[in-house]
Parts: sequence; structure tokens; C-alpha cells
Amino acid sequence: MTAYIVRRLLGLVPVLIGVTLLIFFLTRIIPGDPAIAMLGERAAPNLVERLRADLGLDRPLFFNTAEYRETGRFGDLFDSQYFDYMGGMLRGDLGRSILTLVPITQSLLHRFPATLELTLAAMLLAVAIGIPAGMWAALRRGTLADTSVMLVAIAGVSFPVFWLGIILIYVFAVVLGWLPPSGRLSVSTSIQPITGMYVLDGLLAGNFKGALNAARHLVLPALALGTIPLAIVVRMTRSAMLEVLGQDYVRTARAKGLSELKVVRKHSLRNALLPVVTVIGLSFGSLLSGAILTETVFSWPGIGRWVYDGIAARDYPIIQGGVIFVATLFVFVNLLVDLSYTLIDPRIQYA
Amino acid sequence: MKKLALLLALLLTLGLTSAQTLVFGSSGFPASLDGVDSQDGNSLVVSGQITERLVDFAPGKTDLIPGLATSWSANDDATVWTFELRQGVKFHDGTPFNAEAAKFNLDRWNDPNHPYSGRAEGKTFVPWGWVFGGPIGDGNLIESVAITGEYEIQLTLTQPAPFLPALFAAVYFQFNSPTAVMAAGVNYGTPNVGSVGTGPFKFVEWIEGERIVLERNDDYWGGPAGVERIVFRGIEQPTARLAELQAGTIDIAVNLTSDDLATVQNDANLKTAIADTELNVGYISMHQANAPFDNVLVRRAVAYAIDRDAIVSAFYEGLGVVAQDHLPPVLFGHGEDWPYEYNPEKAKELLAEAGFPNGFTTQYWYMPVSRPYFPAPQPIAETIASYLADVGITAELMTEDWATYLADYPTGKFPMYMIGWNADYADPDNFLRTFFGPSSITDQGWDSPETRALIQEASQISDQDRRAALYAQVVNTVADQAISIPMAHNRSLNATRVGIDGWVASPLGFSSVSLHSVTKAQ
Amino acid sequence: MDAAATAQNGLEGTSRKRGNDLVRRFFRHPTGVLGLAIVAFLVLVSLLAPVLKPYDARRDRDLRARLSPPSAERWFGADELGRDNFTRVLHGGRISLRAGLIAVAFAVVIGTLLGLIAGYVGGWLDTVIVWLVDILLAFPGILLAIAIVATLGPNLTNALIAIAITQVPIYTRIVRSVVMQVRQSEYVQAVRALGSGSIRVVLKHVLPNSLAPLIVQLTLSIGTAILDVAALGFLGLGAQPPAPEWGLMIRDGFSQFLRAPWMSIFPGIAIFLAVVGFNLLGDAIRDILDPRLRNL
Repeated sequence: MTAYIVRRLLGLVPVLIGVTLLIFFLTRIIPGDPAIAMLGERAAPNLVERLRADLGLDRPLFFNTAEYRETGRFGDLFDSQYFDYMGGMLRGDLGRSILTLVPITQSLLHRFPATLELTLAAMLLAVAIGIPAGMWAALRRGTLADTSVMLVAIAGVSFPVFWLGIILIYVFAVVLGWLPPSGRLSVSTSIQPITGMYVLDGLLAGNFKGALNAARHLVLPALALGTIPLAIVVRMTRSAMLEVLGQDYVRTARAKGLSELKVVRKHSLRNALLPVVTVIGLSFGSLLSGAILTETVFSWPGIGRWVYDGIAARDYPIIQGGVIFVATLFVFVNLLVDLSYTLIDPRIQYA
Repeated sequence: MKKLALLLALLLTLGLTSAQTLVFGSSGFPASLDGVDSQDGNSLVVSGQITERLVDFAPGKTDLIPGLATSWSANDDATVWTFELRQGVKFHDGTPFNAEAAKFNLDRWNDPNHPYSGRAEGKTFVPWGWVFGGPIGDGNLIESVAITGEYEIQLTLTQPAPFLPALFAAVYFQFNSPTAVMAAGVNYGTPNVGSVGTGPFKFVEWIEGERIVLERNDDYWGGPAGVERIVFRGIEQPTARLAELQAGTIDIAVNLTSDDLATVQNDANLKTAIADTELNVGYISMHQANAPFDNVLVRRAVAYAIDRDAIVSAFYEGLGVVAQDHLPPVLFGHGEDWPYEYNPEKAKELLAEAGFPNGFTTQYWYMPVSRPYFPAPQPIAETIASYLADVGITAELMTEDWATYLADYPTGKFPMYMIGWNADYADPDNFLRTFFGPSSITDQGWDSPETRALIQEASQISDQDRRAALYAQVVNTVADQAISIPMAHNRSLNATRVGIDGWVASPLGFSSVSLHSVTKAQ
Repeated sequence: MDAAATAQNGLEGTSRKRGNDLVRRFFRHPTGVLGLAIVAFLVLVSLLAPVLKPYDARRDRDLRARLSPPSAERWFGADELGRDNFTRVLHGGRISLRAGLIAVAFAVVIGTLLGLIAGYVGGWLDTVIVWLVDILLAFPGILLAIAIVATLGPNLTNALIAIAITQVPIYTRIVRSVVMQVRQSEYVQAVRALGSGSIRVVLKHVLPNSLAPLIVQLTLSIGTAILDVAALGFLGLGAQPPAPEWGLMIRDGFSQFLRAPWMSIFPGIAIFLAVVGFNLLGDAIRDILDPRLRNL
């Protein structure tokens, strides 16, 4: 098993290198550059040149052949933007934002908990609604109730999340005034960050007023985002339940006269939940995608929005750092899901 | 008795936490609080409360008033300027503000080799290039800064600049504590450090992407401010900003959509804050590197084809005025009124005369972001394209992100496009030099040495009537040749909750407004 | 999943009777029929749109009717230029449906080709293709699409290319696994031993065997592609004005949602209908073509 894990981890190395190459390539061929973005309406050529030099954008991208030819030293071949960046990354230094000069790692550490909190809350909502709904559908298999649940689940995944976000803001924040329209916390409330996930931090510190405030801000975006995993959780629960309900020991239990609910609680639920848990991990990627759109609509200060703004401002270090971080995370979560599959289901061999 | 004391304490704390905190909603978070290292209103409105300029604008006006400098004077040809500095002022960290501190700031911006310029680590001081030409050795206007007394500095210029004080009033040039700059290095102005100035508010904290908190500087030389704390929030969408204002979660919302004027006026809890006038212009350009816009008949046809009155009345909601030339109405130097009244028939005739009886196909590029001069660029562009379609010109609508857009518009990549200008200081030079001046970016593909010479000549003269005559000549030529079509001068829609007083909108935009005198009712 | 074997059961022995059986089973699938009805309705309406309401987005403008609310005259209200929202939603279907289909078609063709090459040629080419697929799969979908469109420039064509690129790896994986399994099957090895040319073997055996998993994936991908087209449109990276693309219309409506919520509500409902239609349809097809996946 350990050997298998090590092999899988080593297999990630070329993929991650590919990710950095692709992102470096994409960010550098994007037309326009940050020097001009910063100079705005009056980008006189002499100012652009100076700024490009100040920002190091005039250096070679991958291989510094000019310097190599001049000095003849092999190492100088790698005196380029890409290898500097990779060197920095290995030391945990992702550079600074061109626009704000804030270190990228600092922003990542600050913004990732916001995205994570939103993602987890969305998942929590999906699980809280999806598992009971899926179980109910399985128990009423083939009835109108079953069909309706599945219909609603498919409907949920068919909403454009950005649109759902706008509608939720309009109804619950503007018309009804029940919940705040955007942001993470009211300005009159403050929470001492521990994990950076405010609801949790509020609870940990015993600051229940703050936690409640943060939770109120979290409801609408989590609801919008939660429709994405909802469908798959419902579907997975239903099918896992059906499989378990069809098995001999459950039939026996039922024949012994145990009530339906008791059968579910005693025998089916735990066995059915294992694949559900695994599938939750699998929808992580689509959740991250959805988070970009949700964060845009709700002014949620997470990674998705940050990267999107970074693209608009041509802030290369933000795009590189953000996208590479997300991709790495995504790859590792997928690996974990794979591994947990093999743990849960011994029939799958780690070949 | 004990109960009463408790109640009192409770009331006090309540008062402190809610009523004395002003929440300011703008469209985004700062890039930096190091004034000259940022150039957007969202940065400067925050740093402008902490750090101050030598010269200021009178509230809601463009008249110059003393800031950190109490008076200024020049030699006869305006090449040497002397500034008397305000005495007894201290930065928030206790560092005294004096000639030495002022020189430190000016040298930091002007001398690329200054030990604390931070240029090597990424500081750029972009606006310094905009307004003062660039640092030493790169088109610099300021040659040197000399300390001539404990509270007096003397600036030697490379060429005459009769309106130098107005340049220092531009919102960027805020003076920072030398001690703080030296201590923080490249981190100065970032969320970790904030900035340290002489202003009415002190930096407390900046939680990235969420809020920035400032607190009152009780030792402010102009007396303590009206509120104890300010919280700045960035909410990108104007409509979302309005929704927050209506919900009472922010107190001031700037740069709302003109369409929401009625919504604000009909809400008993809100009131508008609109400047009397605003120093900007939005215009439509035709780049002459692209045929057939090298033909003056075609350019005039386009000018006749677009109903500017209808567009301004539909999209500016009475806040904007139709432009007669590229200069805002309050400035001097105007020429004759814009000669092309909406007349599609005339446009078709001119097109036929130019050899395009069936029109032609071109691209019209519009801005991806709204600016005060074009509050709704996309619908305005769609409307303009539909007017062009009426006379047979097929204009494909194009856009790209703002960064690329700014890179491309001067190059001639866009046959037709929209762009504009917000003033840094209240002088025609700031507009005409930008569009048609000696070092302008020739974004119309129109290079007229005579026009350039006129603008350069006017900038070195002190007599306003003579300058006005020269500028009028420039704008008349531009109109006659239909180089670009001025659309509107607009006033931004800002709104506050009822109970917020003392917030006066400025013609130079929201970032120039001091929050010193703003009060919030219980 | 043993896709090849499933496919072999499903298609290799296709007779007319079996086909009829599949159709009959589809029509007994209630949500599948609902999905088909929705899709058919939208396709029909989109095809008929130019007849029902001729429309030239280029010249459409009625500034006096700006932001008027829904009424008997304008069912879905009017937008910022006073354009009739109903007409635009109607014509938007032509853009969104076509865009979804084209993007998926692109992805299927390129993904299949890559999968064939990787699986059949093998060797370093396989290694490189698998590497590229793994890299592409390391990005959450829309993030990669955003980065690609930002590079290519925002318009509908580039958005389609970007979405297609994000979907290519899915098809490459499916086809490659089928090829690998078919190659190892005794039957194909026997055919090859008899000297049949490799390209003929591929065309004759691999493609038909990949059909069932491809069709299932394809139907589901159309829904995703329509959503992604709309998402890029909403972010300003897809169709450009004045095109009545649904995502773009929601973007325009977002800046007016306090004054004119109808501007975003109706195009959103249209997207939802289209996506839900294809998803229901895809689900039903999966149930029928691939019984082993029925419960998933």
C-alpha cells in the first residue's frame, strides 16, 4: 500500500510540472501586459518601457540564450522568468502581486479559508438535503415520489449558479431583507481569525454572535453553490441504498419483522454511506469551478474571484500562484479519493 | 444605581460601536495605500484620509487651498518654485513634518536611484510619470528639490510650469512618514503595514478582500474628525452597492449607475451626493490608420449619424451634459459649439460623396469597465452601433479586458472606439495635452505638429486669456476635422444614508473628498 | 468499468428488433420522455424563431422603452436599449443550443482522435497524450476555460474552443480505454494475425464499440457545455453584444437587477430549461444503453 501511494505521488510530479508550464505559457501569451494595465489611459511609450523593466517583464521567458552565449556558463541559461519562478516556488515563495506588492502566499493563506468555508458549507447543505432525499427516494423506489426527487436533483444541477445567486440575492436580501446580500461579515462584527473560516472561528472562540453573523452571510452563496453537488449526492445515496436494501441480510432483517426505519438505521445506512462519502470528494472540482462564479456574484473574498480579477489586471504572479495552487489541490484531492476507494472497497486492486 | 450604571455603560458601548463608525462603499479594494504607487480611486480614497498633499482643493470645488503647504510662489518664468510648509504638524508615528520630510518624499518619487524609491522591488510611482513627466532622466519636470529653511523647500524645474501648484493638488501626491517608509521598505502601503501620514485618520487594519479600518487622529492639525472610525468596503457591482446602502450595511455608496437615480430619490432613507460639475469627458475616436477613417468626409458622416442628445438623455439620466468639445464646461479655452447635429440623411450623403453609398463594415470597440465619463459603456456602444447601422455602417462590437484595451487603443488596432479622461487637476492642459499634446499617445492616428506646438506654447504662458485663445484654436481644428467625437461630461451618482452629513461630492471624483468633516447622526 | 464489453452487448449485435426494443424502453422512461420533450420544444422554437419573430440585433433599439416591465405588449419586458426581451430570449436559443452542440462535437472529434492514437499507436505518443490529458484534467473546468479565453480573446468562437478543450480529455480517456480493451481481445488479435491492416481494424471494431459510452457522455456534455457557454458569457468572455446570448443577457441584467429583474430572470429560466432537458435525456439514455450504470 505504501509503495502504491509513493508511486501515485511520484506520478503527480510530471502532471504538476505540466501545469506550471501550461500556466506560464498561457499567462505570457495573453495579449496586453501589466505595465500598460497600470499606466491606464495615458500609457506613453517611454513610461511603458521603464515600467516593464522595473517589473522584470523584459527578461527571457524560459531560456536565457543571450546571457549563456555571452558568458558561456551553463547555469546562466536558466536565468529566466520561468526558472526563477520555479526556484522561488520550491522555497515557498510565489512572488508578490505586481499591483499590490502583497506576497502571493500571504494572499493564498488568507483567501483559501474563505473558499474552503464556502465549499464546505455548500457540501454540507448538499449532504443535509441530499442524503435524506436520496434515502427517501430509494425507499419509495419506482413511485412518483422517487421520480420527483430525482427530477428535482437533476433540476438542481441544471441551474446556472451565477443566475441562482442573483435570484437569491434579489429575493432574500433585497425584497425580503432576511439575509445580507454580500460579503462575509457585517462591519460591526469582528472575528479573531484562527482557521480563517469565520463560522468555525466564532464557535471556537465562543463568539456566538460573530459566528451567527458569519453564518448568515454564508447561507445564500452556499445555497447557490450547493445545487452542484446536491444532484450527485442524491443519486449516489439512492443507488447505494438500493443496492444495500437488495442484499440478503437486509431482506432477512425485514422478514424478521423489523420496521422499515429500523432496517434503514441499523443495517443499510452505514454501508450505503461509504460510497457517498467518496463521491463527495469527487465533486470537489466542480465545486471549485462553481466557486469562481459564486464568489463573483456575492463579492466573496476567495481564491476564485481573486484569480479572475488577477486575469483582468494581468497580474501574472496572482494568476500563476492561484491557478497552480488550485490545480495542485485538485490533483491531491482526486488522489485521496482514489486511495479511499481502494481502502473502502478491497476488491479494487492497487495495480 | 448599579443598574443605571450598567445601562449607561451599555449605551456608551453601543454608541461607540455603531453610530460612530462610518462605512464607505466603493467599487473595490485598494491596490496600495502608498499614494503615489497607486492610481485608482479605490486606493486613493483610503490613503487620502491618512496621508495629505501639499495643496488641496476646496471642498466640492477645484479652487486650490493650502494643504501641507501654507503658501507658494514662483520666480518670473515659473521655473523655480518655493513652498512654505505648515508648522507643528506631526505624522501619526510622531515624526515631525518639515522640509526634510517633504524633500524625502519628493526625492523618493523623482529620483530613480533614491535608496528608498523601492523601484527595484516593484514600486512604480506611475502617476508621477503622468503628471510630472517621469523621474530624473526620463522626461522629468522637476530637476531638484532644495531645503531652504526648516519649513521651506524650493523646487527647480526643467521648463516653465505656471500651474505647478495644481499638479501637486492631484490626488496622488500624498506625503508619507519617512520613518515609516524606511522601516517598511517594499511592504509600505500593503495590508500588513498600511500607511502613516499626517491626515485626520490613522490606519488600523486591512483584512484583504473584506475591509479596511481607520480610526480618528485626535491630534489632527485641523481638529478631530466627525466620526471615530471609518470602514471601507469594496463592492464591485454598482447595483450590489446600492442594495447594501438600502439595507443600511454601508453609509456612503459612490459611483452608482445613473439609472438608479430615481431609486435613490424615491428612498426616504437615502439622499444623493452629486457634484455641481465634473471634470471629465467621454469621446468616440476613429483611428486614421484604418481606412476609411483617414477620409474626413467619412469621419463627418459618422459624427452626423449618431444622436448624441438621445444617448445622453437615455443613459446619463440628467446627470451628464452633451459635450460641445473635449473640455469640461467649467474650464476655459472653449471653441465653437460642436458643428454636427444628428442628421442621418446628411450622413448618408457624405458617405456617398466619400465613395461609400452602401456604407462599409468596421469594428467598434467599447470599454469593459464603466468610468464616470461612460457610465454604461456597453449599452451605449450597442446604441451607437445601431445608429451606424441606420446609415449603412456595420460596426462589429468588440471588447477585451481593460488592461489589453488600454494597451491597444493607441496602436490603431481599433478602427472606432470609446475612451475618455478624468482630470488630475483643473486645467485645460490636463485634457488637451493628454489627447493631442507633444508627448500624447496619438490615439487618433492624427499627428498635427501645429496642434502640438499650440498646446506646448499655451502650457508655458501665465496669462489665461492668451492661453484660452490658443486652446480654442486646438478644439476648433479637432471639431472641423472630426478627429474624435466628444460625447458627454458626466457627474457621478453617489448616495448616502440620511443622517450622514458633510460629504460633498467633488468635481474631481470621489477619491478627492476628505472625510474629515463627515458626521453620522445617532 | 468494462465499457467495451457493455458496448459489445449493446451495439455489436444490433438488430432492428433490438433497436425497437431500446426505443420502446426509452418511451417508458418518464423523465427521459420529459427531457426529450423539452429539448424538442426548444429546438423547434429556435428553428422557427426567425419565422415567428424576425429579428436583427444589429439595428434593434427603442430608447423610449428602456427598462419597461413585462406587459401584454412585451411579455418579458425590455432591456437597457428598450429591446424586447421575449424576442431576444427566443433568438438566444439559436445561439446557446448551437454553441453547446458545436463545442461538444469539437471535443468528441478531437478527443476520439487523440484517444485512438494514444491507444493504438502506444509508446511515447501514448505517454505524451496521457500526460496532456492529465494536465488538462488537473484544472477545474471553468478555470481553464477562463484562462484560455483570456489568452485567445473573448468571443463566442474562442469560448467554444476553450470549452471544447476542457472536454477533450473526457473523450480521449473513454476512447483510449476502449481501444486498449479491444486490442487485447482475442478476436482482434486473431484478425491482426490474419494480416488485416491496423487502420481497418480500428475503424471496424473500435469505433462501433466506443459508441455507447460516447453517446451517453455526449448527451450529458451538451448540458454542461450550454452552462459553460452561459457562464463565460456572464463573465464577459463569451458571446459579444448585441448578440442575444442568454449568459450575456444575465450579465446585462445583473447590473440592473434592482430596477429590472426581468432582464436576468427570463434568460436564466431558458438556460435552465435547455440544460435540464439535455440532462434528463442523457440520464435516460444512460439507463437504457448502459444498464449497469443505471443506479449511479
